[in-house]
Amino acid sequence: MPLTVLVFLPAFAGLLALLLPAGRAQYARWVALAGSLVALALSIVLFFDFETGAGFQFIDRETWIDVGAFEIQYFLAVDGLSLPLVVLTTFLTTAAVLVSFNIEYRPRAYFACLMVLSTAVLGVFTAMDFLLFFLFWELELFPMYLLISVWGSGRREYSAMKFVLYTVAGSAFMLVAILALAFSAGTFDMQVLGTETITTAVLPLRWVFLFLFIGFAVKLPIVPLHTWLPDAHSDAPTAVSVMLAGVLLKMGGYAIIRTCVTILPDQANDYGIWLAAIGSISVLYGAFVTFRQTDVKRLIAYSSVSHMGLVLLGIGALGTTAMVGAAYQMLAHGLITGMLFVVVGLMYERTHTREIGRLGGLARQMPLIATGLVFAGFASVGLPALAGFIAEVTVFLGAFQKHEWAVIMAIFGVVLSAGYILWTLQRVVFGPVRHEWDEADDQKHWWEHASVVGLAVLVILLGVYPDLIMDMLDPAIEVVSARVGA
Amino acid sequence: MTELFAAASGEVPGISEAVLWAIIVAPLAAFTAITLYLRKLPKVAGYLSIAAIAGSFVLSLITLVDVLGANGGIAIHTHEWFQAGPLEVALGVRIDGLTAVMLVVVSSVSLLVQVYSQGYMEGDPGYGRYYAYMSLFITAMLGLVLADNLFMLFIFWELVGLSSYLLIGFWFHKPSAAAAAKKAFIVTRIGDLGLLAAILLIWTRGGTFAIDQIHDLALAGTLGGTTITLFGLGLFAGAVGKSAQFPLHVWLPDAMEGPTPVSALIHAATMVAAGVYLMARFFPVLEAAPDAREVVGWIGAATVVVGASLALVQTDLKRVLAYSTISQLGYMMLALGVFGYAVAIFHLFTHAFFKALLFLGSGSVNHATNTFDMRRMGGLRTLMPITFWTFLIGTLSLAGVFPLAGFWSKDEILLEAWVNNKGLYTVAAIASFVTALYMFRAIFMTFFGEYKGGEAVDHEDEDSHFHGDPAHPHESSWVMTVPLLILTAGAIAAGWWAWGKEFHHFVEAAVPAEALHKAPDFSYWIAITSSLIAVAGIGTAWAIYHRGLVSSTEIRRIAFPLAALLERKFFLDDLYERAFAVQAFQRGWNRLVEQFDTFAVDGTVNGVGWVGQQSSRVLRHAQTGQVQLYGAGIAAGVFIVAIIVFIANPL
Repeated sequence: MPLTVLVFLPAFAGLLALLLPAGRAQYARWVALAGSLVALALSIVLFFDFETGAGFQFIDRETWIDVGAFEIQYFLAVDGLSLPLVVLTTFLTTAAVLVSFNIEYRPRAYFACLMVLSTAVLGVFTAMDFLLFFLFWELELFPMYLLISVWGSGRREYSAMKFVLYTVAGSAFMLVAILALAFSAGTFDMQVLGTETITTAVLPLRWVFLFLFIGFAVKLPIVPLHTWLPDAHSDAPTAVSVMLAGVLLKMGGYAIIRTCVTILPDQANDYGIWLAAIGSISVLYGAFVTFRQTDVKRLIAYSSVSHMGLVLLGIGALGTTAMVGAAYQMLAHGLITGMLFVVVGLMYERTHTREIGRLGGLARQMPLIATGLVFAGFASVGLPALAGFIAEVTVFLGAFQKHEWAVIMAIFGVVLSAGYILWTLQRVVFGPVRHEWDEADDQKHWWEHASVVGLAVLVILLGVYPDLIMDMLDPAIEVVSARVGA
Repeated sequence: MTELFAAASGEVPGISEAVLWAIIVAPLAAFTAITLYLRKLPKVAGYLSIAAIAGSFVLSLITLVDVLGANGGIAIHTHEWFQAGPLEVALGVRIDGLTAVMLVVVSSVSLLVQVYSQGYMEGDPGYGRYYAYMSLFITAMLGLVLADNLFMLFIFWELVGLSSYLLIGFWFHKPSAAAAAKKAFIVTRIGDLGLLAAILLIWTRGGTFAIDQIHDLALAGTLGGTTITLFGLGLFAGAVGKSAQFPLHVWLPDAMEGPTPVSALIHAATMVAAGVYLMARFFPVLEAAPDAREVVGWIGAATVVVGASLALVQTDLKRVLAYSTISQLGYMMLALGVFGYAVAIFHLFTHAFFKALLFLGSGSVNHATNTFDMRRMGGLRTLMPITFWTFLIGTLSLAGVFPLAGFWSKDEILLEAWVNNKGLYTVAAIASFVTALYMFRAIFMTFFGEYKGGEAVDHEDEDSHFHGDPAHPHESSWVMTVPLLILTAGAIAAGWWAWGKEFHHFVEAAVPAEALHKAPDFSYWIAITSSLIAVAGIGTAWAIYHRGLVSSTEIRRIAFPLAALLERKFFLDDLYERAFAVQAFQRGWNRLVEQFDTFAVDGTVNGVGWVGQQSSRVLRHAQTGQVQLYGAGIAAGVFIVAIIVFIANPL
């Protein structure tokens, strides 16, 4: 029951916001904030109630559609891999609501979309029936499309449509794979699929693996399936960028571990080297292109491609350490990149530009925003005592034995990220003051502080106390790596 | 978990673990308090920071006395930090002779520099921020030398890099400072790649990060020669970046953009010595990997030459000292390359005092003249007597004049080199002539002759906190001169600790005995030769820059190609920044990848979309809603199918 409440609570709050009378539209943000805070509190309670190492918990399970040969279940559960991602989602949803507090255009519909998006993502992380999983996966598209195309900027219709078409194209492959698995194993139950070995298959299992991977790789995204991401980011409103970078990309990494690797361990062993290679290439390629960006949001988007490459590198190594590192990297990247987008959003509200060439000297006029940007920037560079460092090093250490060359390539990303981040900081934050922003108010609203400080605290916490999460991740990943025999 | 290793005499240090952690935590607490609560109270921030580092200093002294009492026995206190699969990472502190010496060097110089900064940074709008960053740096540096494993060492290693970045770019509104900060971080990170690779390698092959276990692995020889050589070279790559060794030395001169006390503490006495500390810490690895040791020695020698020769042509006093630091760090590496483990640390120890002294002296000069340009100084000998005499003693110590601190440590490096590698000895000896020459050039230009007026104060610059009168320079206040005097005592006497090889035995107890070579005995010949070389350098400087017996412009004219090469810093900055970073990397390679991304990758995506739209535009004509057309289509279809069937199955 608690998981069901948690998953649908944001959507319920969104519905309430939508139903507010027109004269009370400005209260939509408070409804959304209340909903997201309750969801956050509930997820934290679950986090501390979770019994580490005891498999799937908080199970909600009902037969939903029974058609003889197949039983489709309403099946929600979390394990040590998904629960941290659930907390990440509720946390970033709260941050996203806070940074949207001054939305004026159709706030009721806006917050409804944002909260439904949160429900969809929570559903993906908790669904243990493959068809239910797929439904939540697709559900995420509607609010995203609306959020980008209605509340976005620039070429927003183009970017929204590109995002949807890309995901749907990936989903087509995914659906074929899901059906093939169900027809082969006779069930949609992901827990069963993840423990049994499929002997007779209706489709060669390597194709199933590939199709699933394509569906998830689009979301991650990998090179060369990544070009929707910078477009979506640059045209999306701040809160949507936070959700997109913070949790939507993680659906891809999570699903690869949960399904590709767990359900098809033999194929994972065969193709692990390819995943690692694609991951490394994404790390480098993303970094090179990042250097050329002149729009701060596009820059962060390309750096995300680079950082998410590490997730795939870690998964491709298939060992416990490397996959724990990959999962940790998802959390770290979610917080750090979420924070980067929050800070850049605040900066944009004051300067009305994201062109690096037009920015400069912000450290004087906006010390708090500048500090936030420097902090998040260094977190992104992988500075020790912050979350990203633990993740990166764990991936590298875990993957080195298995894929020496892929790791040696990828560690160059460490220098490249320092290069593009520090160069950006130099041009945006430092240098002579530009007087057109002398009037800008650095410390306008409490909600802006709350989201920046909250994110920073978590980035530090995960950097100095990794066992808080690792203790939970480790047994769950151990199950997966045992299945692939690593 | 606590492990104790008795020294040869059978004793172990009894210092409590809490004391060791407190050494790190005191400045960390100051940093946190300043950042969170004391933004509006800069004065209090300054006092708090000084109180914290004073606490660390006292505790470091207590630790040193304790370890001395145990004749250099080792204690390791370690705790599990986090764990992921087979990966187990620990946080722990290790105390032995090497760490005890480093603790005292770092905390004593830090304390003096922090006191000095009370005067030097007075009135700066970023006063509180300055003390916060300095406290962060001191935390990281103390953590670096206390870490009992390579993973934790790497963490603090990167954190000193961060604080160095923040302090170089302290006056961030100056484009040159912002650029220098970025350059320092990125260049050192290039070296850190090697260090990271070394960490990956040793964990993957050896399964540990612990310093003592890595010592054992290296000496046992179970890892195989290639692995241990690669590991050693990886460590050294990190050291090359951090300790500004050729060819990654280019960031250090630019780092002089930071406030002068920062240069004294971070970019002379402590952080830049971290690379030397790292190599000494893992000295058994160099012992087990002769190829790596050879590389260390020769890179050190190249750095000695590059630093000393570039110091000759600088006109900025701080840059003379920066290149001198590079050169001296080269001497330390060279010492490691000729088995001189204790000697390298000994030179690190003495260098910390006399080089911090020289930097703080240059800051005092700057405070009086508002410039670092030696061509605008001169004659300060009588105007600033304390600064002059302390600077002179620091210079004599650096030049290696008996009986000052630098004489003892440099002499031993030359001796080790003479015994173990004549080629390296030759380089080191020639460079010590140049060392005396460039330092006394600076002395004569700064303190002798006529005063040339300094730099006029720009009252328009709201960031300047200069409040003296460059036209009438005067001695600095006591908060600045007292640290100078104390450091002078160090620059004179720090070398005497090595009497009877006391210092050597103490730090040598920190590594397994089988990794060490017996140090050669004191040689009068080497000592006399090196003293004569130093005196020759001083005399040459006197002849050229004081008496003008030989014109320096004339020398420059005759040796024109060499002078040009030196003035352009061997063209390395042009090569790295213009040719590589800007042209080849950013405008070449990255642009190529970006174009590929835009046209090939995204172009394909948009192309697929375009094909979809175009084909629907064509296919739309098939769906007109006219029944006749559909009927015709069906008829045509049936006809075609009939033909195919007919062809496939002929009657």
